[in-house]
Amino acid sequence: MAEVLITVRLPAPATLEGAMRHLGLAADEVDAAYGLVPVDPGRNLYVLRVTEDAGRRVGAAGDADGGPYSDPPIEPYGPPR
Amino acid sequence: MRVLIQLRPSPDLVAAVADPSVPSTASDVADGLPGVVLDHSYAPVAVPRPMPAAPGGDPLSLNQPLVFSMAPQDASVVVRGEIADDEFTSRTALLPAARRDVVAVYADPVIETTLTCAGDPAVGDWHDVERLLCVPDLTAEGLDGAGVPVAVVDTGINAAYLKAARGQDVTVDSERSWSPESVTGTPGDFPVDHGTMCAFDALIAAPKASLLDVPVLLSRRRGGSTLDGLLSDAIAAYAHLRQVLDAQPAESRALVVTNSWGSFSPRWDFPPGNPGNYSDNPAHPFNLIVGSLAEAGADILFAAGNCGTQCRDGRCAYPDRPIVGANSHPRALSIGGVDTTGTRVGYSSQGPGRLAERKPDVCAYTHFAGSGALGDDEPDSGTSAACPVAAGLVAAVRSRWPSTVLSPAQLRTLLRRTADDRSAVGYDHDYGYGVVDAAGVIAALRRRAAKAA
Repeated sequence: MAEVLITVRLPAPATLEGAMRHLGLAADEVDAAYGLVPVDPGRNLYVLRVTEDAGRRVGAAGDADGGPYSDPPIEPYGPPR
Repeated sequence: MRVLIQLRPSPDLVAAVADPSVPSTASDVADGLPGVVLDHSYAPVAVPRPMPAAPGGDPLSLNQPLVFSMAPQDASVVVRGEIADDEFTSRTALLPAARRDVVAVYADPVIETTLTCAGDPAVGDWHDVERLLCVPDLTAEGLDGAGVPVAVVDTGINAAYLKAARGQDVTVDSERSWSPESVTGTPGDFPVDHGTMCAFDALIAAPKASLLDVPVLLSRRRGGSTLDGLLSDAIAAYAHLRQVLDAQPAESRALVVTNSWGSFSPRWDFPPGNPGNYSDNPAHPFNLIVGSLAEAGADILFAAGNCGTQCRDGRCAYPDRPIVGANSHPRALSIGGVDTTGTRVGYSSQGPGRLAERKPDVCAYTHFAGSGALGDDEPDSGTSAACPVAAGLVAAVRSRWPSTVLSPAQLRTLLRRTADDRSAVGYDHDYGYGVVDAAGVIAALRRRAAKAA
């Protein structure tokens, strides 16, 4: 599994740089093109995509809200084969 | 256990049963059979006796010439009944001894029609689906999808193809469409494929809906493969759709999201029980954002999948409970597939779901000649087609019933409550609550409007 997801709670307005600082992530550990994506704006909950090693480290450190979570491939269902 | 009991009563009685002008009942033939509950709704049937055509032949061999005699002294009579499961062996052994007219006791197994499977020709066409969804009645009620955004989260839409296939204009809302960064292309101008089929099918019940093109399945992130995206792309798409929803005025707020995709295999997921798992974990960020978007007012529909036991898709790799992750989300509608005869297609995934047990919720039509987007003679098939068909009905409702008046939860309940129940008793894991019933939806909305007036 090349990349995983972690969630983080940050006060608005949140930025990817702020999330990286909060979680202690280096630039090469984060999918910057993916960015910081709001999951639930009412709860200030965001998600970012990181390497598996970074996800494991951040998850163990307790600074993340949750994760590492899987990021499985998704496919169209049809037509049935 | 249901059984058929063969008896050889008096020739007079056999003659009466064989005579269609003489009414006869199961009690006339088999009253008092110990341990058997007779089915009185099943009229006794006279059965001819096989006899060898030549002397010395075996009457039970079907590989030689036989004649069949309905003469009263030869024929027998069959009745239907039930024997308690725990008494079946002893009763079937004792019955011929207890009653000399009992010849034999046979099983009466359930028989089923052959279900539609992949590779089978289309069952009906999209005009049949239009009729089944009562589209003229929906239109007469002002329920045509006008102004309602329908996000097709898929492989992209080709608007020119849709226009030609439908013979009428199609609205693609480019401003509110969204693509992952790795996807190049213009909304409404992607190659004709699965997403175009989904858009076509959504427009059957909601021809005036505004399509939002969200081609997440074209994404090519690290880890991606041919024609698939990653779940993280869908999270980003949903974050965009939340902005679309929040930007709408309350009095017309509506957003229908149709998803004919999913995860076929546990291979790329953390195992169930792991806190990072997707398939069984309501705390996964995608499952969180689905719940959050639905709470904010979006109607979210997911295909149940094509892993039905009768003819599952070869890609299905979950050993059981194949409706996984958001496809089984309690705040989304999980859509199974039926053909235009109302019979479940054999590939439509059966419940229970992994996040919520009562999945699928309802079924909608599939396996009909429709868009032709998958090939000239290819039906619009899979629960991939059923999902947008149902989404179109939801979008039609939203033309007059914004989510601030009829919440997504209320609309889900309405669709379940009005569904045409296809099973013996209530909910089942093949059809869910039944097949979407547009006439029932219209009637329920009329009652609701009258109550509110």
